[in-house]
Amino acid sequence: MHGRLVGSALVLSIAVIASGCATSEEWAEWRSHSSHFASGQHATFSLKNREGTAPRVARSDIDAARAENWWGKAITVSPDQIFQN
Amino acid sequence: MVAPRWAAAGLLVVSLGAGVAPAPAGPVEDKLIPLERYATAKARALGSSHQQQLLKYSEYVYGCLPWLDVQKQSIGFQRPKFAEGDDRYFSTWIIVDQKDDPRFAAAPQARRMSAMFSRFGMDLMRRMATVHDVVADANVQGFSVVTSWLKPGSLAPGSQPVNESIAVFVDKKSALDYMERRISAAELTTKVRSLAFDGQKDLGVIPLEIWDDFFMATYQVPNYDPPPGVTC
Repeated sequence: MHGRLVGSALVLSIAVIASGCATSEEWAEWRSHSSHFASGQHATFSLKNREGTAPRVARSDIDAARAENWWGKAITVSPDQIFQN
Repeated sequence: MVAPRWAAAGLLVVSLGAGVAPAPAGPVEDKLIPLERYATAKARALGSSHQQQLLKYSEYVYGCLPWLDVQKQSIGFQRPKFAEGDDRYFSTWIIVDQKDDPRFAAAPQARRMSAMFSRFGMDLMRRMATVHDVVADANVQGFSVVTSWLKPGSLAPGSQPVNESIAVFVDKKSALDYMERRISAAELTTKVRSLAFDGQKDLGVIPLEIWDDFFMATYQVPNYDPPPGVTC
């Protein structure tokens, strides 16, 4: 009885860990994935929808796309926590 | 596989040496640490004597790596919190603009830290190592890159988003030994100092891994034109 309980707990633990983590295949996919760039995609999308212009992306387009999709100031470590002047 | 990275680094050297046209004032210059912010004479001297090189480096990152946002007043010569003396590291703080990805979100936090440093921080360090005048300066102890990104799942409605960050410091010799393949990634991890943060919460020592990642060397924004005068 005790052995079965321990075995069940072990199986359950493995299942919980597995469901909470990327599998090695998924992780390999992330590592080989080449389209992570959020604002670049938004900039390209906007440009494709401009009539009569060639779909070229300038740095200012990316800045604009980033500003449009800004989700607010994120809580970030303060420089004082890393550096001293 | 190494060639593209060094090819990119070579292009940076060429563009730095070629006298790049003046950059638009805001997004390039405001990334440099102002001289008045340095608290020691050594740091001010470094900032002053390498100012033009830092500006060109800032212009290169802004123009050629648009998927990175450089933190304002972060390029310069920083002294880590743990330093006892006035050790100055050639530093940059980047914020990575990446899409939500469930595979990335499912990875443990320490693995995300390792992945983001390996992909973005280490590559930037390689590019920093091509700024020869700075690297050759005996008063520069090493390199540091802080890499920040949006913590997966922190964009819930009604709550403030959170960035995860990893700050890595490497002495000059170890960094160059790794870049020139004299030591392995595993050896490098024993020589770096890293500080990890979840928002502003200090995570203490995390098991940082470093591996080869060629995203930065191969990725290009489709149909992207760098600013005039910038060679990528």
